[in-house]
Amino acid sequence: MTVLPTYDGPSLDLADLPYFPVSDPSFSVQSDMVRAARESGWCARTPYGLAVIRYDEVNRLIKDRRLRQGSWAWPAHNGVTGRFADWWSGWLLNLEGEDHARLRRLLNPAFSPKTLAALSPQFTALADELIDNFAATGHCEYVSQFAEPYAARVIAILLGLPQDEWSRIAEYSTTIGLALGVTFAQELPRIEEALDNLFAYGDEIIADRRAHPKDDFATRLVQAQRDDDAMSDQELKDALALLIFGGFDTTRNQLGLAMQTFLQHPDQWKLLAANPALGGPAVEEVMRVNPTVTWVTREALVDFDFQGLSIEAGTTIHLFSESAGTDPRAMDNPEFDITVTGRPPHFGFGGGAHHCLGHFVARSDMSVALPLLAQRLTDPRIDGEASWMPLSGNTGPNSLPISFTPGA
Amino acid sequence: MKVTVDMSLCQDHGQCAIAAPAVFQMDENSKLVYEGEFDDALLAEVEEAADVCPVQAIFIGV
Repeated sequence: MTVLPTYDGPSLDLADLPYFPVSDPSFSVQSDMVRAARESGWCARTPYGLAVIRYDEVNRLIKDRRLRQGSWAWPAHNGVTGRFADWWSGWLLNLEGEDHARLRRLLNPAFSPKTLAALSPQFTALADELIDNFAATGHCEYVSQFAEPYAARVIAILLGLPQDEWSRIAEYSTTIGLALGVTFAQELPRIEEALDNLFAYGDEIIADRRAHPKDDFATRLVQAQRDDDAMSDQELKDALALLIFGGFDTTRNQLGLAMQTFLQHPDQWKLLAANPALGGPAVEEVMRVNPTVTWVTREALVDFDFQGLSIEAGTTIHLFSESAGTDPRAMDNPEFDITVTGRPPHFGFGGGAHHCLGHFVARSDMSVALPLLAQRLTDPRIDGEASWMPLSGNTGPNSLPISFTPGA
Repeated sequence: MKVTVDMSLCQDHGQCAIAAPAVFQMDENSKLVYEGEFDDALLAEVEEAADVCPVQAIFIGV
C-alpha cells in the first residue's frame, strides 16, 4: 500500500468558509472573490456543497475513490425531474464501478491514439476548408463559421456520419448543452425536445448500420453490441448520444475560449503562427487557464476528513479547474505562455475513472486547428458584440465576431 | 511478458485498471499498483491499457 502525506494544519469549520453563489449566472469562477478565497484556503461553500480551488487538493480529490462522479445530482440541484433526468442518470458519465468500466471498455477502441493519428489529415483539410469560406473577407463570426462546424464535423468524421449532417449534430447538441449551465431549469422544454431529436437521429444511424455495415465507428459499435451481447439497445443509443453531444459541445466551446485567450495575448498568437509545432502546447495552456469545463463535479461516498475539513457522505464537491490550473502554489509563473514546458497537468479533461474519454480527439483536432487559424487569421480582434455563457459550469462564447488580416 | 509504468508520468487516473484489471489496480489510497510481468494471454488487454492511458505512461516489453 502507498503512503499518503499526513495533514498537520488547523481543522476547518464549514460555517467559517467563504461562500460562492455559484448558481447565480453573474458568478464567475475567475472573479476576485475566488482569487481571494484561494489565498486564504483550499475550499469554499456553495449552494450545492463545496468548491475546491487549489491545485493540490483538486489533484487529490479528482482521483479519490472515496468520491464518485457527482453530476448525477445536477438535475435534482436544479429542481429538474422527468425524461431528461432519467437519461442523465443512466449515461456513462454518471455510472460507476463495473457498469461504467464495461461501457468504457466497449467505447475505448474508437478513441485510441492510433485510430486518431490516421484521422489527423482529415482534421487539417476540414479546418482549411472552413477558413477558406471566409478568409478573404477579413471577418467572421468565429463560433458559427468555425468552432461549431469544425467541432460537429470532427464528430461526423470520427463516427463515420455524412459530413452534410453536421448541422443536426450542432443544433441538438448545442441545445442539450444548456443543461450544463446554471440556466438549466428554465431551458428544460427546449433541452428535452433536442434530446428526443438526438435519440431519433441515433436510431436512424443504428438502423442504417445494421442494414448497411460500413468501415466506421458507428458500425463497430453496432457490431460490438451484436457480438458480445454486452450492450443493451438503450445503452447503445445512450452511447451514441453521449459521443455526439459530449464531443461536440465541449470542443466548440473550448475552441471559442482558445480564440478568446489568444485575442488577449496577440504575441502568443504570432508565436503559434510561426511555429505550428506549438499547437499541442497551445491546447494544454488554453485548457489550463480557460477551460470550458470550469468545474469537475464529485460527490462524497462516505464521511471522511480531508485537509482539516470533515466532509459528509452525500456532499457535492465542485473542483474548480481554472482556479487549480492558475494556482501560484503549483505554477511558478501562472501567466498564459505556450512556450513554457514542464507544467503540472491541468484538469480541463477531468481526471480519474471519469477522465474525458475523447481527450485524444480533442487534443488532436484542436492542435491541428489552432496553428492553421493563427497562420491564416493574423492580428485578430473582436469586431462587434460578442455573447458569452455565464463563467461557471460549462462555459464559452455564444458568438464571437472577429476581424483579422488574411494570412498566407 | 513485461510491462512498465513510468511513475514520473503516471497521474493515477486509473484508466489502465479499467482496461486491464488483472494487471493494474488502484489501491485504497487511489494510487496505482501493478504486476510487472503478465501472462501472454492478457496482451490485448494490456495493449489497450497502454493505449487509453491519458498520459501514455505504459510501456510493454518482452
